[in-house]
Amino acid sequence: MEENQPCQKSSKAQLAPAWSTELDQKSPTESLFYRSSLLSRTLVAQQKDQDCPYPLTATIHGSSSLYAASVSKAASLHWTGERVVSVLLLAMGPAAYYFPGPAVDYSLAAALTLHGHWGIGQVLTDYVHGEPKIKMVNAGLFLLSTVTFAGLCYFNYNDVGICKAVALLWSK
Amino acid sequence: MALLLRTFTRQGTCLFRPQFGILCRHAVPMGTTANEEMNTFWAKNNKLNRPMSPHLTIYKWSMPMMMSITHRGTGVGLSGGISAFALLALVLPGNYPYYLDLIHSLSVGPALLSLAKFGIAFPVSYHTLNGIRHLFWDSGKGFKIPEVYRSGYVVIVLSILTSIAAIGYM
Repeated sequence: MEENQPCQKSSKAQLAPAWSTELDQKSPTESLFYRSSLLSRTLVAQQKDQDCPYPLTATIHGSSSLYAASVSKAASLHWTGERVVSVLLLAMGPAAYYFPGPAVDYSLAAALTLHGHWGIGQVLTDYVHGEPKIKMVNAGLFLLSTVTFAGLCYFNYNDVGICKAVALLWSK
Repeated sequence: MALLLRTFTRQGTCLFRPQFGILCRHAVPMGTTANEEMNTFWAKNNKLNRPMSPHLTIYKWSMPMMMSITHRGTGVGLSGGISAFALLALVLPGNYPYYLDLIHSLSVGPALLSLAKFGIAFPVSYHTLNGIRHLFWDSGKGFKIPEVYRSGYVVIVLSILTSIAAIGYM
């Protein structure tokens, strides 16, 4: 490792998020100086504007571009999926009011079931602990959601349908 | 100094990318996922039979806390209601208008009828409006404490108003 004078400039340092959380409420530049004193100036962040006359001693890459091991994106995709379904369900409110019919009925059945399934899933994740218990309740939830979707589709097919049902209920 | 040790044990030092003779240190987490860490926490503490510190019983309840648990409560309630409806649809012999007429014939009275309508309309409108509030948070907006309280009050007031309007409708 080359021992050089670090570029202690005022320009913004590119720091990985994990670093700044460890030092509560310090600005990125401040925390850099703090670390500099602690680690005998062996660590310097890479600067974007390249006004440094000499090469830097080390760079910190916080992004996933140089990952040694890949991390599954399942959790973040699940999160995004939840928001997408929520927005779709929101849109189905006015859709059901202004365009009642089988298309909205079945869409509503799907969106309601999925939104509820994921929602209850989050509740279970929060309150149920221990590997076997988690597996059991999730299996039970899957069963419940399947039966719910089946029931709603059956209702849409053999009975008046969700939109009409709400309209009739409210006409009391 | 513990910071120093933690820094070096957590990060992997790579040498296969010598850019201008620079030593690259990656912020690759060599640890566990959040889910794994949570499971480890619970396994350890359950095994040691540790009692849980009081939390809900001692912490002062705030409006955002109450709104949050109400959001969860209405969500679970509505979901249960939908599942119950679906199950009944599969199990009961008659069709929907038949059972609706059955309930009509009970002649409940207008006050109880309005109460029942409010009982259905309020969870739906509260959960929907608070859900929109959640989506705003998901987009990164509205986290300042005064904003949280303000949006909270707006949701509560609008929920009540829309529920009352829904009773009067039709």
